[in-house]
Amino acid sequence: MSHWRKKTLDIGCFVGSRTVRDHTKRLVFEQHEAERQALRYVIRNTSLPARARAEAQLQLQQMSNYTRPTQIRNRCTIGGHTRGVFRDFKMSRFNFRMQAMAGVLPGVKRASW
Amino acid sequence: MSVPRSRMLDLMKAQCQVFATTYNPDGLRLGNKVLRQRLRGPALASYYPRKVATVKMMNQMFGMKVPKGTEENEETGSSDRSLATWDDAEEDRTTYVEELKARGKGNPKKKKEAVVKTKGFGKKKK
Repeated sequence: MSHWRKKTLDIGCFVGSRTVRDHTKRLVFEQHEAERQALRYVIRNTSLPARARAEAQLQLQQMSNYTRPTQIRNRCTIGGHTRGVFRDFKMSRFNFRMQAMAGVLPGVKRASW
Repeated sequence: MSVPRSRMLDLMKAQCQVFATTYNPDGLRLGNKVLRQRLRGPALASYYPRKVATVKMMNQMFGMKVPKGTEENEETGSSDRSLATWDDAEEDRTTYVEELKARGKGNPKKKKEAVVKTKGFGKKKK
C-alpha cells in the first residue's frame, strides 16, 4: 500500500510508521469518499434494478481497504499511542497530563475544590 | 372532520417541493439518507498537524536554490541570498559526509555506464 503514501512527509507531529500509515489512510479516504458514497447510495436504493445494486456491492467490496473510513484510528500526536486518546486534544491521556501540568494547553487547569 | 388521503398527499408533495426533499409517500428505501450525509473526509484528513516552514524549505525558497551562472536579481525567480538562513542539521550532515570521504569510507561514485545484470544475482536458493 506504499503507493498511496506521499513521497515527502507532510505531517509535523510525532512521526512513526503507524502514524504515517494512518495519515495516508485519511488522505486516501478523503479522495475516494464521494465514490464510496455514490456506491452506497446505489446499494441502498431499492428502486434500482437488483443487478445494478449487486454490481455496486461488488465494486464497493473491491475497493482498497485504505479507502475505508473504519481503517482510520485517532492516534496521539505526541507519542503515536492509540489508546486513551482525547479527541479534543489529539493526545493520549498521559501526554495530555504532562502537557497540562507544564501549562502548555491554554484553558486547561487542575481541578480543585 | 377527516381529510381525504389524496389531499394529504398533495400537501406532502408541496412540502417536499418547498423544502427540497424527495417525495416518497410509500416510505420506500431510496437510499437518500446516504446522500444527505455530510462528507467527513476533510475533517478526518486534517487530523494530524501539517509541517509548516522548515529551515530547508525557507532556504529553498529564498536564496540557496539559485543555480550557478545566473546573476542575482534577474527576473527569473528570487535570488536574494541575504535571506538564506543557517541550517544546522544540513551542516552537520555535510561535515559528517566530508569526514567519511576523508577517511575513504564515503559512498561509491555513481557508475556512468549501465550495470549489466548478471544471472546469478541475489540470494542463493538452497
